[in-house]
Amino acid sequence: MGRRLKFNIFRYNPQDPDSVPHTDTFYLAETESMTLFIALTDIREEQDSSLQFDFCCRAGICGACAMMINGRPNLACKTLTKDLPDEITLMPLPIFKLIGDLSVDTGTWFREMNEKVESWVHTSKSFDPSADEERMDDAVAEEIYELERCIECGCCVAACGTANMRRDFVGAVAMNRIARFMLDPRDQRTEAEYFEIIGTDEGIFGCMGLLGCEDVCPKHLPLQDQLGILRRKMGWSAVKELFRFGK
Amino acid sequence: MAVDTTTYVPAPSRTSAYLDWLQMLTGAGLILFMWSHMILVASVIPTPRLMNAIAHFLEATYMAQVGGPIIACTFLLHFVLAARKVPFRVEQQSTIWKLSRQLRHTDTYLWLIQAVTAMVILIMGCIHMWTVLTDLPITAAKSAARIQGGFWLVFYLILLPMVELHVGIGFYRIAVKWGFARRKDRKSFKKLETYLTAIFVAIGLMALVRFLTLSV
Amino acid sequence: METIFTDVLCIGAGLAGERVAIEAASAGFETICLSIVPPRRSHSSAAQGGMQAALGHSAMGEGDCPDVHFEDTVKGSDWGCDQEVARLFADRAPEAVREMAFWGLPWNRVVPGRSTYFKGGKQYEKVEATEKEGLITARDFGGTAKWRTCYTSDGTGHTLLYTMDNKVVELGVRVHDRVEAISLIHDGQTCSGAVARCLKTGKLRVYLAKATLIATGGYGRIYRETTNAVINDGGGAIIALDTEVVPLGNPEAIQFHPTGIVPTNILVTEGCRGDGGTLLDVNGQRFMHEYEPEKAELASRDVVSRWMTHHIRTGLGVKSPYGDHLWLDIRHLGEKHIKTKLREVEEICNNFLGIDPITQLIPVRPAQHYTMAGVRTNKDGAAYGLKGLFSAGEAACWDMHGLNRLGGNSLAETVVAGKIVGEKIVEFLKGYEVQYNTAIIRSGVIKQQERIERLVSGKNGNDNVYEIRSAMQDELMERVGIFRNGPDLQKAVENLQEIHERAKKVGLRSNGKGVNPELTLALKIQSMVRLALCTAYAALQRTESRGCHAREDFEARNDRDWWNRTLATWREGDDLPTLDYEPATQVVELPPGERGYGVCKIISCDGDVIGDGTS
Ligand SMILES: Cc1cc2nc3c(=O)[nH]c(=O)nc-3n(C[C@H](O)[C@H](O)[C@H](O)COP(=O)(O)OP(=O)(O)OC[C@H]3O[C@@H](n4cnc5c(N)ncnc54)[C@H](O)[C@@H]3O)c2cc1C
Ligand code: HEM
Ligand code: HEM
Ligand code: SF4
Ligand code: F3S
Ligand code: FES
Repeated sequence: MGRRLKFNIFRYNPQDPDSVPHTDTFYLAETESMTLFIALTDIREEQDSSLQFDFCCRAGICGACAMMINGRPNLACKTLTKDLPDEITLMPLPIFKLIGDLSVDTGTWFREMNEKVESWVHTSKSFDPSADEERMDDAVAEEIYELERCIECGCCVAACGTANMRRDFVGAVAMNRIARFMLDPRDQRTEAEYFEIIGTDEGIFGCMGLLGCEDVCPKHLPLQDQLGILRRKMGWSAVKELFRFGK
Repeated sequence: MAVDTTTYVPAPSRTSAYLDWLQMLTGAGLILFMWSHMILVASVIPTPRLMNAIAHFLEATYMAQVGGPIIACTFLLHFVLAARKVPFRVEQQSTIWKLSRQLRHTDTYLWLIQAVTAMVILIMGCIHMWTVLTDLPITAAKSAARIQGGFWLVFYLILLPMVELHVGIGFYRIAVKWGFARRKDRKSFKKLETYLTAIFVAIGLMALVRFLTLSV
Repeated sequence: METIFTDVLCIGAGLAGERVAIEAASAGFETICLSIVPPRRSHSSAAQGGMQAALGHSAMGEGDCPDVHFEDTVKGSDWGCDQEVARLFADRAPEAVREMAFWGLPWNRVVPGRSTYFKGGKQYEKVEATEKEGLITARDFGGTAKWRTCYTSDGTGHTLLYTMDNKVVELGVRVHDRVEAISLIHDGQTCSGAVARCLKTGKLRVYLAKATLIATGGYGRIYRETTNAVINDGGGAIIALDTEVVPLGNPEAIQFHPTGIVPTNILVTEGCRGDGGTLLDVNGQRFMHEYEPEKAELASRDVVSRWMTHHIRTGLGVKSPYGDHLWLDIRHLGEKHIKTKLREVEEICNNFLGIDPITQLIPVRPAQHYTMAGVRTNKDGAAYGLKGLFSAGEAACWDMHGLNRLGGNSLAETVVAGKIVGEKIVEFLKGYEVQYNTAIIRSGVIKQQERIERLVSGKNGNDNVYEIRSAMQDELMERVGIFRNGPDLQKAVENLQEIHERAKKVGLRSNGKGVNPELTLALKIQSMVRLALCTAYAALQRTESRGCHAREDFEARNDRDWWNRTLATWREGDDLPTLDYEPATQVVELPPGERGYGVCKIISCDGDVIGDGTS
């Protein structure tokens, strides 16, 4: 307690022709249980009211506030200043389009991702409002939920070397989404259909196993395991195809 | 699989999958080769005669004459495949270096090490293979002579750690990428990788010392 | 000026907005959703507990049916709701849950066999039926006769919203995220869209639509301490109020939750107390049992919140840089219980407080939680006052919550109302053609442009927008909070009127270029203060206690004089809202009576006094 925190914050407003990318420094007296949400709000209200950043739920559940905190992507709202050194450097997430200062456009990226992986249940059935729901094993429901916990914050994408080098790489988040639907008995897509979406160099075969995703995911999704399973599944699917052509 | 999906799926391209398989298999093959190679070279430690015997066996069965070029081809194939992943564009290179520095993330660093060592191995490995394979048969005496010449000593002192790092990391990465190492196993796999690298470098150094002190 | 035409404009892409959009798009109408944040970040994602629907599959929910759900809802509302709407809602909730399952939501399912559960700190046993295996199960929630709350672990809102947005993506409905509606385009009779500000570039844009929907969620951020997201600052209510013709229903109806953590007011679940957690004051002493000898910490939400506030006022709160608070103590529940049954609580404490609830106390105090108040609509979701304007979700006063909503009923409302209002919009649109009046559109846009210019140039003055917001939030917190009384409310109204004057003189300190966050706030501060005034003034007028509205000077629920709904409109130039009243409900299926919990003193419709006011 009683520390004086130094914040180095990336600044650039693309909408202002006079603005150039630079770093601004702010000082703030640390208070008890201070999070970066409290700190940044304070800086905006007391020191520089043009500072742009994104918070929404401020409870670590909506994924709006991901940024590079001393070099690592994380949710700013659930980062306590007491876990950080006296000097804190904040940068916007890479890869996503910069809106201004610490704010980036994750919405467009994730909508495209969701369209690309066709993130919905594909079924030929139609809903019958008068019938009981289809039964499902509770264990299966929980398994699906485990993967559905992703909050689309973008940390895994920002921390991925592959995604940083190759803009067409879909990232761990998309692979996790596919894994979620493969688990779901309601989704009638075949393995071949999944393969078409994800069995490419933009998908699972582009992943180099760098595991930045696994190590930064603020929701601790089992990304490493899912990527492994997916690569094996897609790999086998291709091999099976090879032998089918042979016949 | 009764339904013929090809009737409505225009047979998606599976090239990426096959190339990834090949990359992994050539990598794994090369790992196995390097381990066998270590047996050959390290056999000089107990006695040069053992090494000569193994080398003789390899040649008598034509394994060296045929296997050598096969290894060389695998080596090149692996290079071509893996090179798809290596950032050759300046912009990509600076991106990945910047990111790794920012992240301070071991696994990303490990990949960079893999890519850098790969370049060294590519050049030095080719020279080495050319030298050995054009000067058959392999004997402990010839090897010792080369190494005592000094140039090859330095050469191997560089190549050895490079190869072992690349092999160790490659081993770990195959385990991770293909899901053999799960989240809970990752720590122990990483440890295993470190030990493997250290042990092989140690044995390699011992072999070099043995060559150096072998009276020709 | 960029102008975009569409059939349906959904302002808001939370659960309610997207559900309406799905209905409209499925019927073939072109639909666009606006949202301040990417749709999946809407605050619906924050709901953890669950969604009520009378499926009756779980053992503890056996015999449940829409009739029981309806009764619970009416009692919960303290008879403030529209019973026709509550009926419609309860009847259609099961279908809504099932539809979400069909679209891919991983609801928790019935696991047959014996299992244990806690109630009031004690352990009980239940047996789930084998023939129900795999059907959607439910958990217990406050104020319900049966276990009726369907859930997915501790992420119900999140999975609902993701499933909903998946459907939106599948249908190809466009969501313009980071676009904020700042005013409605209308001629006093018909609404024809909205003027919006792009939060990627700061530029203004016009959306012209045959049907416009306000589904902007709650506006808890007019209070300082709220569990709501920072974007819940009243955008939807503001654009409705600014029309001068669309009323807000029951603006005094604001719900508080007892345990928001300090300083960030993130919600920790009621389960803490349900499982035996206690509340302590600055001396480490329990106090709830002194106020509520019988139920102690387990009295209903509003009751506990009231006593906590009272206790803090007597000076027994714990001082902190963020104001006074109390302690929540769950240490005695033990490590095992906390790590399994209260996992999320542990995580919140670790992440946001840096404390370990197994060995440390949790700082808590009541926080604003839900706005029953909202854009008044009829049972079809059509807003009063303007043709072509609709509203749904927390933003609306449909009105099934009356003066108090039940936990689990608001997620259900978003989906059920979304579907029903969507259907009604489709009906409305069939064969409906419009002509847009360019003069009205242009003057609407120019008005907004001028406002922006004046704010940037400082022509209005140079009052600090953050200070004004702060003053407003303090005023509401202090005098229009959990306990209300005549003198305080009177004072609040006067102070807010003064703040309202200051809000007219806001000037920016920054240059206002691009997506300037100061400008974003400055554009709505004046109307935010008006919302606050609506709440304070309506609370002052309502001289009874009903649901969340607790008047210390009028403790009884007064069905004779106040069995009605407040309707607040704002005429330009006024410094107070105009209040009108309508009967709470046209159809009376369940006549007013006792709720069975909370303070029980009622002045009946005939003027008889029932109960003595103690709980
Ligand atoms: C912490 C917490 C826990 C809760 N738990 C439960 C629970 O367990 N069970 C339950 O039933 N209910 C719960 N609730 C209540 C419930 O979550 C909400 O009432 C409900 O989700 C509201 O949904 P909505 O679609 O109406 O609004 P929201 O989900 O809030 O969506 C509002 C949308 O409007 C957009 N918007 C706002 N203003 C504008 C503007 N001016 N222009 C354009 N777009 C705009 C936003 O971007 C957003 O997309 C909880 C609430 C909170 C705060
Ligand atoms: C003795 C020689 C070599 C051995 C034993 C070897 C082994 C391996 C192994 C096991 C892998 C992991 C494979 C995978 O991730 O699928 C690998 C990866 C790699 N190798 Fe090699 N390799 C050798 C030579 C080379 C050479 C000459 C290059 C030259 C460019 C190279 C470049 C790479 C690269 C860039 C990767 C990383 C690929 C990725 O992460 O997807 N290697 N190597
Ligand atoms: C078929 C091919 C190969 C043959 C027959 C072969 C053979 C040999 C022999 C005989 C030696 C002893 C030293 C000498 O004679 O100079 C040696 C050492 C060595 N080789 Fe190879 N080699 C082959 C391929 C490779 C490859 C592909 C690599 C790695 C890229 C490699 C790396 C080394 C290293 C690092 C040493 C020094 C070992 C030590 O000090 O223990 N070799 N090799
Ligand atoms: S997988 Fe994790 S890191 Fe990636 S977007 Fe989802 S929550 Fe964020
Ligand atoms: S960091 Fe990237 S390379 Fe693969 S393992 Fe994760 S997606
Ligand atoms: S603000 Fe929602 S996760 Fe941080």
